[in-house]
Amino acid sequence: MKTKRYAIVLDTHRCIDCKACTVACKVENNVPLGKENYRNWVGADPLRGSYPNLGESYTPSQCQHCSNPPCAHVCPTSATTVSPDGIVHVIDHKCIGCKYCMTACPYNARYYNEEIEAVDKCTFCTQRIQVGRIPACVETCPTKVRVFGDINDPNSEVSQLLAENPSRVLKEAQGTKPNLYYLI
Amino acid sequence: MSRLIDKKLSRRRFLGLSTCTLATAVVGSQVKVLRALASSGDITAPVAGDEKNIFTTCGMCVNKCGVIARVKNGVIEKLDPNPNFIKSRAMLCARGNAGIKVVYDPDRLKYPLIRTGARGEGKFRRASWTEALDLVAKNLNEIADKHTRAGVMFASTEGTYQDHFFNQLAECFGTPNTVRHPTLCLSSNIQGFSATFGTNPTPDVLNADYIIMSGANRSEALITPDSIDLLKGDGGRRKLIYLDPRFTKTAAKADKWFPIKPGTDMAFILAMIHVIVTEELYDHDYVKEQTVGFDKLISHIQQYTPEWAEGETDIHADAIRRVAREFAMAAPKSVYYHGRRSSFMSNDTQMRRAMAILNGIVGNWDTKGGMIPNSGIKLAKHDYIAPWYDDVPDRIDAGSVSFLSEKDGSWPVVQERVLAANPYPIKGMMVYKQNILASVPDRAKTLKMMEQMDFICTIDIAMSDTAWYSDVVLPEATYLERLDPIESLGGIVPVAVMRQPCIEAMFESKPNLWIMQELATRFGEEVAEQFNFTMEEYIQHQVKDNPAILAALQEKGVYFDRTEPVYGTTRGKKLKTVSGKIEIFSQRYADKGLDPIPVYTSPETIPAGKFRLLVGRHAIFTHGTTANNAYLHEIMPENTLWLNTKSAAGQGLTNGMLVKVKSPVGEETLRLEVTDKIRPDSVYMAHGFGVLSKGLSNIYGKGGCDAALIETRYCPISGNAALHETLVEVVPA
Repeated sequence: MKTKRYAIVLDTHRCIDCKACTVACKVENNVPLGKENYRNWVGADPLRGSYPNLGESYTPSQCQHCSNPPCAHVCPTSATTVSPDGIVHVIDHKCIGCKYCMTACPYNARYYNEEIEAVDKCTFCTQRIQVGRIPACVETCPTKVRVFGDINDPNSEVSQLLAENPSRVLKEAQGTKPNLYYLI
Repeated sequence: MSRLIDKKLSRRRFLGLSTCTLATAVVGSQVKVLRALASSGDITAPVAGDEKNIFTTCGMCVNKCGVIARVKNGVIEKLDPNPNFIKSRAMLCARGNAGIKVVYDPDRLKYPLIRTGARGEGKFRRASWTEALDLVAKNLNEIADKHTRAGVMFASTEGTYQDHFFNQLAECFGTPNTVRHPTLCLSSNIQGFSATFGTNPTPDVLNADYIIMSGANRSEALITPDSIDLLKGDGGRRKLIYLDPRFTKTAAKADKWFPIKPGTDMAFILAMIHVIVTEELYDHDYVKEQTVGFDKLISHIQQYTPEWAEGETDIHADAIRRVAREFAMAAPKSVYYHGRRSSFMSNDTQMRRAMAILNGIVGNWDTKGGMIPNSGIKLAKHDYIAPWYDDVPDRIDAGSVSFLSEKDGSWPVVQERVLAANPYPIKGMMVYKQNILASVPDRAKTLKMMEQMDFICTIDIAMSDTAWYSDVVLPEATYLERLDPIESLGGIVPVAVMRQPCIEAMFESKPNLWIMQELATRFGEEVAEQFNFTMEEYIQHQVKDNPAILAALQEKGVYFDRTEPVYGTTRGKKLKTVSGKIEIFSQRYADKGLDPIPVYTSPETIPAGKFRLLVGRHAIFTHGTTANNAYLHEIMPENTLWLNTKSAAGQGLTNGMLVKVKSPVGEETLRLEVTDKIRPDSVYMAHGFGVLSKGLSNIYGKGGCDAALIETRYCPISGNAALHETLVEVVPA
C-alpha cells in the first residue's frame, strides 16, 4: 500500500469568516488564549474597490505541511520533523525556543507556546486522525470550506477535487511544496 | 435539595448514555482552570475517571445545534458538532466551540448573592440558597400583597428549554406581566407574515434559485440551516440579491449588493410588486384561486413606480425592474427572504406584509424553493393549573398595540408604562437570563425602571448588567451541566433535541427547574403542587405517545421523522387566515383601523451632521451574552463605530480615534472604524459592549453600548422595538 500524504483542499468561495475553525482548533489543541497564539486563522483579504462597488474575500490558512519545509531545514535541534504521512511536527522536548523556524516559515504558521515552552503549530489534529476522525477545523466548518484526506489515494475526495478543479498553492515560488490546495 | 442529588445516579441510568473512548493528545487547558479553582478552595480538583461522549444541544444562541461533548475525567474537553444533526448540517460555529468557556469561566456566578451596597455598586455577599430563596419569596409576596400580583413582572429569555418553567411560575404566582424577547426580535416578522399566510413560513433556501435578502445578514447572523444552505449546493445557478446599508459578509457573498437607504425597504418591495403586477409577471392562476384582494392591490401599487422608489431607496429604477423580472422569472423557486431580526423602523410589520404579499403573488407558497410552512415534532404537553387570583388586573401593556402577544408583551411599552406606573405600579421583577439593560432600547430609561423597583431578582450564569443591578442574584447551571426537556425545533425539516448533563453542575449552581420548584414551595401549596415532578418524569411524559423520540436522542442525539422536505401539504388548501387564502388585503387590519394593504411612509430625513444608527449581528457573539467569553473576546475585544470614509473626512475624524456618539437619550465613547463598508449617512456598532457590570472582566470598560443610544420607538401593530429610528452625532472624544 502506498504511504499516505495528508492534504487539505479549500474552497474559499464558501468561507464566511465566522472563525469557527479558529476556535475549534484552539479548544481541540489547547492553544493558549491570546491573539498571538493560533494554529489556524481566517484572513480577510484587503477590501476591493470603493463604496459602493466593493468586494471582499476570506482566506483560511494554517501550516501548509510543506513537502519541502523550510522550518525543518533551519531547526538546530531537529525538533521539527516530517512524519511518513507528510505531517510536519514539532517535538516539544527537543525545541529550545530559538524561533528560527518561526522566521523561516513563509506562512507565519507557527507561534511560541508559553505553556509547553515550545514552538507549536498545526498537526492536522494528529490525535483525531489516529482514531479515524478528521481535523477539528475541517469538521466544525459551517460551510465546509476544507476537505481533508490522502492525496496519494486517487479515490479520496481531496484527490478528486484536485482532479476536477483548478487549484493553487500559496507562495509557490518559494519552492516549499505546500499540501494545502486552494481551489480557484 | 438532597432529593435531586440523590437522583443523579438514576438519572444517568435513565439516560443510558452511550460512551466511547477517544484519544486526546495533551492535558486540557480546562483541567488547569479547574485545578486553579480547586487550589482556591472553590471546587474539588478533577479526579481520574472514564472518558465519554455525550449528546447534547448547544446553548450559545437560538439555533440549538447538535453537540457531542467529549468528557474526560469529569472535564469537558471539547464540543464537537453532531454529524447526525441535519438541521445545522453537522457544524458548530465559533460560539458553539467556545461553549466550554461558559462552564470554565472565572467570571461565572458561583453562589447565590445578596446585594449589600447600593444598586449598581456591585457589592454583594455570598448567601445560602435557603436564605436567598426565602428573601426572594418574602419580597415578591409583600409586593403582591401591596400592589396585587400584577405588581411583579417576570422577564425571560428564550431557548434555555427551562424558560417554560419560569413562565409557569409566573402564571402560578399570578402575574399577567410576563415579558419575553419577541418584541426585541422578530414579532413584527411573525405578525406581518402571519397576517398574510396565517403562519410564519420558512424560505426554502437550499432549493431556491433566486433569493433576495433585506438586511438578513445570513453569513454573520447565523441561522441554521439557512446560513449554510445559502452557500452550499447552489451549483452556481442560485442568485443572491442583498440589500443592506452595510457591506456585510453576506454582501461579500451576494451576486449583487444594493446599499439601500435605511428604512426604505418597503419602497423597494412595493416597486417590485408594481413591476410584477403591471407587467403581468405574477402567477395568474394561483393569485386568482388562492389570494384575496389582488384587485385592490392593482390600483394600490400604481403610485409605487420604480422611478419613485429610486428616489426613496437610492437604488436605480432599472435595477429594481431587473430584480423584479428576474425574481418573477425564477418563481416559484424564488424567495424574498424575510429573516429573523429586530424591526428596522416602526412600520416594520407593514414592511414584512409587503414582503409576504410579493412572495404570495409569484405563487411560491409551499412549493420547492419557495415559502414553506413550518412543521414540528409532536411532544405531549405538560399540563398545570394556575391558581386563580381575583384581584389581578390586565397586562400593564394591554391595549397599547394592535396585536399584543399575551405571553410576550411589548418590551418598549412595558418599559414606558412601568416608569409611569400607568395604569398601575410594578415594583418587583424576576429576571431569567434576559439582559434587559443590554437589549431593551434606551438603557437610561431601563435603569430608571429598575431603580423604582422595590425588589429585583435575576437568575443567570454570569454577572450581566441586569444581574449587576439586582438585589438577589441566583446562579443557574450552564447548558452543559443540565438535563433539559426535549424541544421541537420547527422548520422545513423539523427535529427534536434535548440536553443531557455533560458534567455535574459546578459550584452551587442549580438548574432553573430546581430554582422554580424551591420558589414554588415558598409561594404556597397550590403553586408547589404544579411543580411536583422531576425532569425525568417531565421528559417521559413528553414522549409518552412516541418513545422513539427519546430512544433516538439517546442513540444519535437528535430525532427527526424525515430527512427531506415535504412540499405542498397546504397548497390549495384552506390557510389559517380569516379568508382561508393568502390575504393581500387584510380585512382584519382594516377592522382595526390599520392599512389593509401596506402604505409606504418615508423615514425621517437625516439632517447634516447626523447619522442613522444601525445595529446588526456578526458571527462571533450572540446578543449581549457572549462578548465576555474568553475565546470569543480575543477575536473581538471591543466594538467600533463604523463610519464611511468620505463622511469621516468631512467631519475631520480619523480611523482608530476615540469618538463620542451622541443620541437624544445617551452618549457612548468608542473607537472609530473608518470604512467604505457603510453608507455615508449611517453609522454602525456591534452589540454586546459598553457594559456596566464589573463582573464581566474581559469586556468591562471596552467599547460602547448600542442600547444606551437607541430611543424607545416601536411598531404600533406588533409592539416590536424599532431599532433604526435613532439619529446620532459623532464627535471626537
